[in-house]
Amino acid sequence: MASSTVEYAVGRNPEMGPAGTPVPSPLEPFDAPEPELGSQTMLVNVGPQHPATHGVLRLVVELDGETVVSVVPRLGYLHSSFEKLGEYRTWNQVVTLTDRMDYLAPLIYNCAYVMAVEKLMGIEVTERCKVARVICMEMDRIFSHLLWLGTWSIDVGAFTPFLYAFQQREKVYKLHEALTGARITTSATRIGGMMADFPEGWTRGVREFADNLPATLDEIDTLLTCNAIHIGRTQGIGAISAEEAVNHGLTGANLRASGVPYDVRKDRPYYDYESYDFEVPIGCHGDCYDRYLVRMEEMRQSVRLLHQALDRLPGGPMDVEDPRISLPSKTDCMSDMESMIHHFKLITEGIPAPAEDCWFSVEGSKGELGMYVVGDGGPKPVRWRIRPPSFVNLSAIPKLAEGHLMADLIMINASLDIVLGEIDR
Amino acid sequence: MPDKGSVASAPDFSTVASGPVRSRAEVPEREGPASVPPGNPTVTALWEQFPDGVLRNRVCAGDEDVVYIDPERVTEILGWLHETAGQQYDHLADVTAVDYGGGRPIEVVYQLWSIPHRAALRVKCELPLDALEIDSVTGIWVGADWLEREVYDLFGVTFQGHPDLRRILMPENYAEGHPLRKDFPLRGRFSRAEQTRRALTQDPEDYYMPGEIGERTPQVVGSGADGGDDAAGSGAGVGTEGGDDGL
Amino acid sequence: MGVDKPGVLGAGTPAFLTTRLDFVVNWARRNSLWPMPFGTACCAIEMMASAASNFDLARFGMERMSFSPRQADVLICAGRVPYKLAPVLRRIWDQMMQPKWCISMGACASSGGVFDVYSMVQGIDTIVPVDVYIPGCPPRPEGLIYGLMMVQEKIRGESLTRHGELRAEDPLAVGRPRADDQEVSDLTGPFGNSTQQNQVSGLVDTGAVGRPEDRLP
Repeated sequence: MASSTVEYAVGRNPEMGPAGTPVPSPLEPFDAPEPELGSQTMLVNVGPQHPATHGVLRLVVELDGETVVSVVPRLGYLHSSFEKLGEYRTWNQVVTLTDRMDYLAPLIYNCAYVMAVEKLMGIEVTERCKVARVICMEMDRIFSHLLWLGTWSIDVGAFTPFLYAFQQREKVYKLHEALTGARITTSATRIGGMMADFPEGWTRGVREFADNLPATLDEIDTLLTCNAIHIGRTQGIGAISAEEAVNHGLTGANLRASGVPYDVRKDRPYYDYESYDFEVPIGCHGDCYDRYLVRMEEMRQSVRLLHQALDRLPGGPMDVEDPRISLPSKTDCMSDMESMIHHFKLITEGIPAPAEDCWFSVEGSKGELGMYVVGDGGPKPVRWRIRPPSFVNLSAIPKLAEGHLMADLIMINASLDIVLGEIDR
Repeated sequence: MPDKGSVASAPDFSTVASGPVRSRAEVPEREGPASVPPGNPTVTALWEQFPDGVLRNRVCAGDEDVVYIDPERVTEILGWLHETAGQQYDHLADVTAVDYGGGRPIEVVYQLWSIPHRAALRVKCELPLDALEIDSVTGIWVGADWLEREVYDLFGVTFQGHPDLRRILMPENYAEGHPLRKDFPLRGRFSRAEQTRRALTQDPEDYYMPGEIGERTPQVVGSGADGGDDAAGSGAGVGTEGGDDGL
Repeated sequence: MGVDKPGVLGAGTPAFLTTRLDFVVNWARRNSLWPMPFGTACCAIEMMASAASNFDLARFGMERMSFSPRQADVLICAGRVPYKLAPVLRRIWDQMMQPKWCISMGACASSGGVFDVYSMVQGIDTIVPVDVYIPGCPPRPEGLIYGLMMVQEKIRGESLTRHGELRAEDPLAVGRPRADDQEVSDLTGPFGNSTQQNQVSGLVDTGAVGRPEDRLP
């Protein structure tokens, strides 16, 4: 993998030295030996309904003064039993559940699920569908990272980037709506293809979005990247080494910020990702600031991918031409008895899957998103398991937050980019 | 545990699975090292290293190697996969379980990935329903902690040696069983009225378990269920339970 | 003294107005509703979108999201509520000061939505009283704004003389379910086809236990 290093001109910050090293603030705390007073630690509860926990996460924090001694996350406040519900649905009906799980990047979940099922069934989708799904997934990677950027900046104390990010998100909302009719709960994929082909002019809209996004990213870059407050609150906070990050199971930007170049798109390529020209940004400190930089760069790389995918989008059918999988067209159903029966049988009986199991993982916006599907020969899953990236990422928070201040805990939590719908499922 | 039904009612397999798709029994399984495909050196090495620990292996979904191992030796074999120079499965992607229903054993599934070698392996252990116990792999991968807790919560599989095996998604006092078992009804075992009543009678402050913090008994300060910014107003206020003797 | 100064309608008019007390109080209340955003899932994202520039909830006097229930006027329950979260929701509702209103945003909060499962509250109206239900999965930001405007309409019709009647709360009911057992089973009865389906189609019929009153012995 070709690698290049990007130097950030952090030296222009008045509080930064010329080499980009932080200059100690004159307001360093007076370093005197503290008198032995004998103190107790105390428990502080954060959440489950708290603006800084990004959902209904609950953290029970043990504090010594303002220093975090230990953090115990409590989960399950959004346990919606997706996996159990999936066992009562046919393979295609499960698609509607996937986007309610990660409502920040619904299309990635839609695609990941059907890709796993297609692999289980041995279906090869059309070239157009492959590129279409790449467009959808990269668009939603940006979509998710923009929300992370907005909430991250609120946590760091800046409200303006939130508004900037949401203006761009609103454009993706409109693209979602034009594609599927829904703003968040897209359910855009079907086994063997997509819900529908792209509407007229939709790719033009994506192109326009990809053209305009870097300007917004530059604006937010100006506001945050070299901001002294931002740097002071994130550099050196929540650092984790590469070995520990791998051992904790971290994936996605959280792992890459520690310097491990593990990206499913590069390491286990799907949908011809190996033929796209893009780079995987990695950090070298593994702290919150590096996670921020990695995600900012990932958005720019996703823009590159969007342009390339739009350039190569081939014509032809979107769905596989297999009557056992694909529905007949609506026009045929309305005018032709056989097509109507075909439609009826496919909908009521579902598509059978072989009695095997299949693991398929994609690079989601939060990390490695794995789908494990087990079939038993019938049209419903025996087991549908999601490998939730933010669930595993969050499990490292006790390790990351130990010894930091309470305020840093909020930044560490924000830097992990969690979504509770996926953690609790 | 109220999950005895799955053992009692053995299903009649003769009346089902008559469709065009292969049933589970017909999937060819390779029973020895002689039939191991040349594609995956890890599987060959496992057969050589643990001839009695590896039970069988198969290939699923085209290119996914699945190895069934003896549950007794899970830490030994997975530790070997993690440590050995040629294998280095350093990324534990997933730990989960599958209940096939009908009294069949529950499978615990480990999904491994080797970042240096770019290789995947799926390891499965079959646990009979009357002995749902297996050794924890948290000593090998710290990341297995919550994944195993989730399997314990939703399937009732006990992981021996796990540092903190408690329910993680369902409430601590959940009395209806393990939801992802096949014999667990979708809407739960209790009526909705009972579920609502039970939900509201649980006290959010019960969840403060100083034991899980460690041996210390800390001072409880804010305990509101509604978040830190209104912690003092939410009922408990400042408590001094624990006292000085814990320090 | 007030005669020389221009009044509310311009120079020469008196510097006072006569009106009904109810009107003034309701006017003040409905134009500075402070929402308590109880956001859990997808709907919370749409609630954030409503607060951002494109939809700008601030136009209706609701820009001050009050994350503390003590200062909030209207609880927006946005998203699905599992049983584990139910006591939290109830506690936040009990912590809010009167007068208070509640919006159930989205299908999951209103009825459980697609989640007719063991872990989900089938409609938050079994837990807290709800004033406005907003349909949608999730509702668009316009839907949320319309729902808040319906709360404003509701406030317009309230009267201080009926305060005790409209805002009565039984102190013994704090922390209890809002609905009694019969009402809960009426409200949460299975509908649609999701619960009528078998679990696994191929090999095993697992036979879900019949509803609704089955209990463990």
